[in-house]
Amino acid sequence: MGADRAEGSTVTRVMVVDDHPMWRESVARDLAARGYEVVGTAADASAAVRIAAAVRPDVVVMDLQLGTTSGVAATREIVAAAPDTRVLVLSASAEQGDVLDAVKNGASGYLVKSASLAELDDAVRRTADGDAVFSAGLAGLLLGEYRRLQDAPDGAPGLTERETEVLRLVSRGLSARQIATRLTLSHRTVENHVQNTLRKLQLHNRVELTRYAIEHGITDDPA
Amino acid sequence: MPAGSAVAPDFLLPLWRAVVVFRPAAWAVAVGSFVRSWDRYPDHGIAILLLILMGAWTAVVTVAYSTPAGRRSRMAGYDLLVTVAFVAATLLTQPWAELNGSAPILTSLWATGPIFALAVERGRDGGLIGAVVISGVLIAVRQRLGDQEVFNTTLHLLAGVTLGYAATTTRRATAVLREALAAEGATAERERLSRSIHDGVLQVLAIVRRRGTELGGPAAELSTLAAEQEVALRNLMTSRPTSAGGQTDLGATLRLRATSTIEVSTPAGPLMMDRRTVEDIGAAVGEALTNVAEHAGPAARAWVAAEDLGDRVLVSVRDDGPGIPAGRLAAARATGHLGVAQSIRGRITDLGGTVELRTALGEGTEWELTVPKARP
Repeated sequence: MGADRAEGSTVTRVMVVDDHPMWRESVARDLAARGYEVVGTAADASAAVRIAAAVRPDVVVMDLQLGTTSGVAATREIVAAAPDTRVLVLSASAEQGDVLDAVKNGASGYLVKSASLAELDDAVRRTADGDAVFSAGLAGLLLGEYRRLQDAPDGAPGLTERETEVLRLVSRGLSARQIATRLTLSHRTVENHVQNTLRKLQLHNRVELTRYAIEHGITDDPA
Repeated sequence: MPAGSAVAPDFLLPLWRAVVVFRPAAWAVAVGSFVRSWDRYPDHGIAILLLILMGAWTAVVTVAYSTPAGRRSRMAGYDLLVTVAFVAATLLTQPWAELNGSAPILTSLWATGPIFALAVERGRDGGLIGAVVISGVLIAVRQRLGDQEVFNTTLHLLAGVTLGYAATTTRRATAVLREALAAEGATAERERLSRSIHDGVLQVLAIVRRRGTELGGPAAELSTLAAEQEVALRNLMTSRPTSAGGQTDLGATLRLRATSTIEVSTPAGPLMMDRRTVEDIGAAVGEALTNVAEHAGPAARAWVAAEDLGDRVLVSVRDDGPGIPAGRLAAARATGHLGVAQSIRGRITDLGGTVELRTALGEGTEWELTVPKARP
């Protein structure tokens, strides 16, 4: 966190990116009512990247289908430009591939738009705290992705047995606390395992992007 | 027809053009023939008047056959009647005696115009009627049935019927093409609709759900309804179980089960397995979910998860209901009241798989099905 921000206040600064004005304003209003400071809104990917660079929010609440532009690309650019900024995907999209791509490209959580305001509030707070916001659905996507990487050539990350176990229980809808009880682990350890499964995948994705860039003679380092 | 789709070209148009060009040309032939046989006409005044009227009628039908509205009207029928009248009217300038010989009839080739118009407008039957009527009138006017008349009649019938067949075939081809284009348009329309549903309806349903929950009371009921429709719509738009060579996607099949209280967790890519195995797993999951609805209460949430383990799949159905106390499970087993459990176990065991039931008071119920991908 920047020193200037810590000085100001402890209020979490949020930006809302969605191409649908009614939804965008509704979410912004709800978050403001819950005590967040909404520092910006954007309707498409390029505006989101530009505004995020200017206002440096703590959390970006990001839709994935921004008209003709993609929230996945915006997520990658925002996180690359400001690693302190965290992206929470809030999407009506049931396109499993889009969600997985967004998370691989740096989003730290995913919530469906049908989630309640209480769930959204909780998710934004946890995202700001640096936790990964995992729905059961996202855990299933990650398990699937690690399974796919197992068959990929060397260098791909894998899960430890414990991580697989934790992720599997998340995919069945168990809370971190319930998982901790069942596996006799501390709550924090469970959270760390979940974080690790996400970080390994994001790191691998960055390495892959870099390798791709070098192989294809693109000099600009995306990481 | 949906807006924006391509309009099928009317392949009949070239045939109509032929009809349109034929008539003035035939009229010119009639005028030329009249001039060449000038001496044979006793009363030039009436003949010239008739030729002028024929020219006027030619202009009328030419204009009519050149427009879509004219082609759709019964113009060819009127054309036939008027032309018959002209042929009959030649008797005013050419007496029976004249026509009975070898004299060319004033209307000459021009009289065959309605045969072609009728054939193009009404197909084979139109061509046939046109040919019979025109030939009949010509024979009646000439009052004789020689080689020439038989030859002409044969020619009329042949031309009318052939052109009629061609028109019918062309009309069918146009209809088939139009249908194909409409189907293509409908697909594009569905995709466009799907996008706009995503952008509009889904968002509004999500807003109704959020606001309804906050307001509480009767609004909360609306919220629940909106949430259910939101999930149903989303599934409709995105779930397309892909099937290929007797294989189908287990993930997509299970995702169809998602509701506002059931969350489904699967890999992003297709999880292809034998179609029958997928159906059996789907049925077992369905039974477990029905059991949740019956015993865990309406407020209970449920999770369905499918994981690919390489040669096997791991499918679980979990709820956060009150669970089954240990004693009751044993009691149920003793009295044979474990219908659902036995049914699920039976299905999965038949597939060479295993079933584990994990339950305790206050911890919900969790089914874990492990099924080999290969059929036993």
